[in-house]
Amino acid sequence: MNDHGAGGERLTHFVSQEPFNPVIDAELTPEQERFYMASQWRLMWWKLRRHKLAVIAGGILLLLYLSALFAEVVSPYELSHRNRTHIFAPPQPIHLFDKGRFVGPFVYGFDRSVDPNDLRRVYTPNPEKVQPLRFFCSGGYRGADYEFWGLFDGDFHLFCPAEKSATVFLLGTDRLGRDMFSRIIYGARISLSVGLAGITLSFLLGIVIGGIAGYYGGWIDNVIQRFIEVLRSFPRLPLWMALSAAIPAKASPVAVYFAITLIIALLDWPGLARAVRSKLLALREEDFATAAELLGASPRRIIGRHLVPSFASHLIASATLAIPEMILAETALSFLGLGLRPPITSWGVLLQETLNIQAITITPWIMTPVIPVILTVLAFNFLGDGLRDAADPYK
Amino acid sequence: MSWRNAFALALTFAYGLSLSVSAASAQTYTDSPYLKEMGLPPVVERLPATPRVIGDREIGRYGGDLRLIMARSRDTRMMTVYGYARLVAFDDDFEIVPDILESVEVEEGRIFTFKLRQGHKWSDGQPFTTEDLRYWWEDVAKNAELSPFGPPVFLKVEDEWPQVDVIDETTIRYSWSQANPFFLPRLAAPRPAFIYRPSHFLKRFHTNFADPEELNQLQRKFRIRGWAPLHNSLDNLYNNDNPELPTLQPWVNTVRPPSQQFIFVRNPYFHRVDEDGQQLPYIDRVVMNIANGKLIPAKVGAGEADLQARSLFMTHFTFLRQAEEREGYETRLWHNGKGAQVALFPNLNYKDPVWRDLFRDVRFRRALSVAIDRDEINEAIFLGLSQPANNTVLPQSPLFDDEYQQVWTEYDPDLAEELLDELGLTERNKDGIRLLANGEPLEIVVETEGDATEQVDVLELVHDTWLDIGIKLFTRPSQSDVFRNRIYAGETQMAVSAGADNGIPTADMSPSEFAPTEQTQYQWPKWGQFFETSGQAGEAPDLPEAQELFQLYEDWRVATSTDEREEIWHRMLSLYTDQVYSIGIVCCTRQPVVVSQKLRNVPKEAMYNWDPGAHFGIFLPDSFYFAE
Amino acid sequence: MIGYIVHRLMVMIPTLLIVSALVFIIIQLPPGDFFETQIAEMKARGEGVDLNQIELLRRTYGFDKPLYAQYFGWLFGMVQGDFGHSFAHNRPVTELIGERMLLTFIVSFATIVFIWVVSFAIGTYTATRQYSLGDHFATFMGYLGLATPNFLLALVLMYLANAWFDTSIGGIMDDQFRNQPWTWAKAWSVLEHLWIPVIVIGTSGTAGMIRRLRANLLDELQKQYVVTGRAKGLPPRRLLWKYPLRVSLNPFIADIGSILPDVVSGSAIVAVVLNLDITGRMLLEALAAQDMFLAGSFLMFLSVLVVIGTLLSDLALAVLDPRIRLTGGPAK
Repeated sequence: MNDHGAGGERLTHFVSQEPFNPVIDAELTPEQERFYMASQWRLMWWKLRRHKLAVIAGGILLLLYLSALFAEVVSPYELSHRNRTHIFAPPQPIHLFDKGRFVGPFVYGFDRSVDPNDLRRVYTPNPEKVQPLRFFCSGGYRGADYEFWGLFDGDFHLFCPAEKSATVFLLGTDRLGRDMFSRIIYGARISLSVGLAGITLSFLLGIVIGGIAGYYGGWIDNVIQRFIEVLRSFPRLPLWMALSAAIPAKASPVAVYFAITLIIALLDWPGLARAVRSKLLALREEDFATAAELLGASPRRIIGRHLVPSFASHLIASATLAIPEMILAETALSFLGLGLRPPITSWGVLLQETLNIQAITITPWIMTPVIPVILTVLAFNFLGDGLRDAADPYK
Repeated sequence: MSWRNAFALALTFAYGLSLSVSAASAQTYTDSPYLKEMGLPPVVERLPATPRVIGDREIGRYGGDLRLIMARSRDTRMMTVYGYARLVAFDDDFEIVPDILESVEVEEGRIFTFKLRQGHKWSDGQPFTTEDLRYWWEDVAKNAELSPFGPPVFLKVEDEWPQVDVIDETTIRYSWSQANPFFLPRLAAPRPAFIYRPSHFLKRFHTNFADPEELNQLQRKFRIRGWAPLHNSLDNLYNNDNPELPTLQPWVNTVRPPSQQFIFVRNPYFHRVDEDGQQLPYIDRVVMNIANGKLIPAKVGAGEADLQARSLFMTHFTFLRQAEEREGYETRLWHNGKGAQVALFPNLNYKDPVWRDLFRDVRFRRALSVAIDRDEINEAIFLGLSQPANNTVLPQSPLFDDEYQQVWTEYDPDLAEELLDELGLTERNKDGIRLLANGEPLEIVVETEGDATEQVDVLELVHDTWLDIGIKLFTRPSQSDVFRNRIYAGETQMAVSAGADNGIPTADMSPSEFAPTEQTQYQWPKWGQFFETSGQAGEAPDLPEAQELFQLYEDWRVATSTDEREEIWHRMLSLYTDQVYSIGIVCCTRQPVVVSQKLRNVPKEAMYNWDPGAHFGIFLPDSFYFAE
Repeated sequence: MIGYIVHRLMVMIPTLLIVSALVFIIIQLPPGDFFETQIAEMKARGEGVDLNQIELLRRTYGFDKPLYAQYFGWLFGMVQGDFGHSFAHNRPVTELIGERMLLTFIVSFATIVFIWVVSFAIGTYTATRQYSLGDHFATFMGYLGLATPNFLLALVLMYLANAWFDTSIGGIMDDQFRNQPWTWAKAWSVLEHLWIPVIVIGTSGTAGMIRRLRANLLDELQKQYVVTGRAKGLPPRRLLWKYPLRVSLNPFIADIGSILPDVVSGSAIVAVVLNLDITGRMLLEALAAQDMFLAGSFLMFLSVLVVIGTLLSDLALAVLDPRIRLTGGPAK
């Protein structure tokens, strides 16, 4: 090691005068202490908070789920309300100024006519019909009454049209004069919950099956591994199609809803099971697992009480990333006519209407349900990414 | 179809033919340049001695491909429908005339003597003779392996099969001891009863005729076990799915399904000519592309079809009209031939006795009918292009009467309430829904077949006006088979469907749709089944008016004159509509028909109907042609 | 190496057996059979039914036998290359499937190539310019592709292609080229139509691939040897191409196994919307009509396609990466 100072002069001898403290590395600043003493969940939250995109995504999702929860209040019209005089009416944009004068949020009313040549319904905004929106309002127009969650009658809305004869169709109407905006909000209730219900199912399946494989290992693991491999090698959509073709046509809407959820979950659990298994394989070699075993804990207790909590955060991240796929699957199946069927209103059911050429050329607002689909999928992905990063708080 | 009429027609036709024969011998026949250099015999030898002359339309020119779009590979059968070469066929006045046959003689409505055209040939050039009819009857219909259930039932009159006598190569006779008014109409149907087969082609596959060794080899080659399934898979004249199978239709399929495209080329031996002696069809090839039904309107709007009505609906009209000029086609609005576009069928055989009695009470059915605002439905859903109407015959039918169309259709909620009160349905629950005697709310579930969007839309509107009189309507969609089976089993309260299949009958056509005669009649499936199975299944009609309708139908069957039949028809229509056995909502809707600007001889306005009509069939697409 | 191949092939057999059993169970799930569906449909169209023909078919195809007998009949038939009979099309299934599988293969292959090219370009770009505007934009577009429902994207692109380039609506080629021999014009027509399904199916797979490539490349770029190389003054381009990029390309091959099911899935729905002559449409029809042998064979073939694709990618990986070939399993 003589060439250390090659080309240079010799280093001077140096001894530190400070007292030697052998545990200096283990001593913590208060900040560090707070960090090390915090629970895993708290750490995750700190880490996630720094991930701007994930926070925004989370906010959007919260908003979406809240409006699905309070669909009756958020949407100006009841789900099945039809406005016979406004069939295929275009969206009514919200204006603030009328002829240079500030009015507050309002829409222009429509004048209707039918084009004698191509029989098209023509709606022209009438500048005389200024219809200011009302906020936190109570009914007073057709389609305002609802049964909240099918339990209580009500007519309170976030916003309403100006008066009985006025309308507010933010995203236009469909072929029966139903408000697209309201239908999208009500559709969220189904589409968003399919994702949650599906992930719950697949979560349970994944943990149980993956847990068994990972904990016992050996031939059990082998069989389960092989089976997972088979399931993963199936192209999902054709398999979903085949399975949903088997839903009896007689089934009630609720049964169809659960069947679809089940079918979607059935093909999703292998991914989770695999993650669970590999984590378990690693963790069961850890000392605390051995300790628990020596103390006579049952396998169920070891898995459930000791092993699962230690990688739950990872599981939640994976689950979050799996939800959007389920939402898209529901949309695709319903679009193909194999999934949910009217009168259930989901985003996929609404998008079924777009296969009609008119939708794209003449009434493009029929395609608007795609916006919340994209938004939700994006939000779940960003949030999932954030959670995944946050799941390893010490990194 | 009156046998006298048919006889008279046959006579005039024979007379007309003798004229055209002499004319033809003076003028020579010509054919399409498309057939040149195919090594075919001259056209005179390919035509029968007396071809069928198609008149009353523009003389056309040869050439061109007619492009159609269909939704499924199996739709090759639509060319059998459009081609509409039948032993006897409906003409555009909906009278039955001989087509493939030279003449038909009918005696007493029970003895049918068919005369084939001398020298008529299959599309492969082999002669078409009475042997082909005999082969089907003796070796196909009566063969237990090919037909495990025996010959088709329309040939059976009161348990009796026809006596079939081959008289000579071109004459064959079918006779029964009683009249069979259904025989000729079935032969003229869009999906006809094919009582003939190309025997020269099929005998190779028939165990009675083929060499066993060769037959075994053929089974191996086609990978089909058993001679009967093999024979069966090759001989479907209707489905048109075997390009090898000779046909009598104007165009011959050349592609084996499934495919995304089928090409039909002209049949060089086709038996019709125009007044100038040009062999039909004018158009050399029909190109049928297969596309998803929902994409078809888009493809048509992009100018990818020359003649299209299937998969097009009024909802596509705006779009189709807007692309007209750019793509060079016209969107015509033909008349729909159904008795009603949308009708409700209260199930008189519903299993629950309380409800059943209610449905059987005419006052209830009338109340339901007058509580529908048909004008509003017409405006909102059909853009004012339909007519509020009962489920009955259309104005185009000679049997039409305003009374039948309008009785009990005027929107009158007060009258409806009055009728319901009269029925004792005066109690209401807190939502204002009337209660039955047993306390059950008056909630009617109307079932629809598949995702019949239009019908569901109509029901939404009916729902509102019924609610006003205290009746709640629920819509329940189900798949076709389930839909039917539930009705048949009496599990459906009410069904929604199109009205009478034939909205334009003449007195000689069967009035069976207005009497309990078929299980597929949703208002009384069990009564219909009772008749269909000769009393072995179902229930006997027990309402006096329904019994009367049935008796009238029986009278019609044995009636001997058209006047008598007309009389019966009117009594039936009057009784049926007054009793509101089905609640018609609107009729006379339009069917958009897209026709290329160059395509000629397609009617500007006409009926678009399945039976009788065969969609375009009765307008004889072989006489359509492309102008320069 | 040979040992490894044999091992992999042996593993495939039980896999395929399970697949076949699953498929058979699934196609048996719907109540009723093809013939009942057929009768109902014919009645619905008011066309009447030829009961004779139907009874004949029912007898010929042994619908009276117990399920396990039907399964083994089907399985042994498949081993011998007989996939059963399609009732709806009245033809042996083999004749129907061959052509469509070829097109499925072409579309899948083109899509994978598309995914490779796009994710290679974007992945490299974003990894070398981490956190730049372009990086964010590309990442966002990738997510957007992932989030947009395939069918809607396909529909919109199809109408736009018709409006702008006058491409015929739906199908994999213009109608006049169907059933015609291959010519330049026909090939061009196919290309004109192929880009839509490829882009639509591709968009959903590209995002994941870009993400993986970017992450791998970033890891690689932080390694000692790269730092050394940079310090040594290697030109940046050479430094990137010589090793890090090559090493990080592993997922391109390793991930075929996981992309392939998605690509085949995607092609199924896109085919329905775009009216392509590939598996999706016919599978959907077969399922709706309960044409069980046809539907079953489709599912079977699609899985085999995936299983073989995965096998090939594993083998390719083994060739490229001695670690795998020697330890006997892909290093994850």
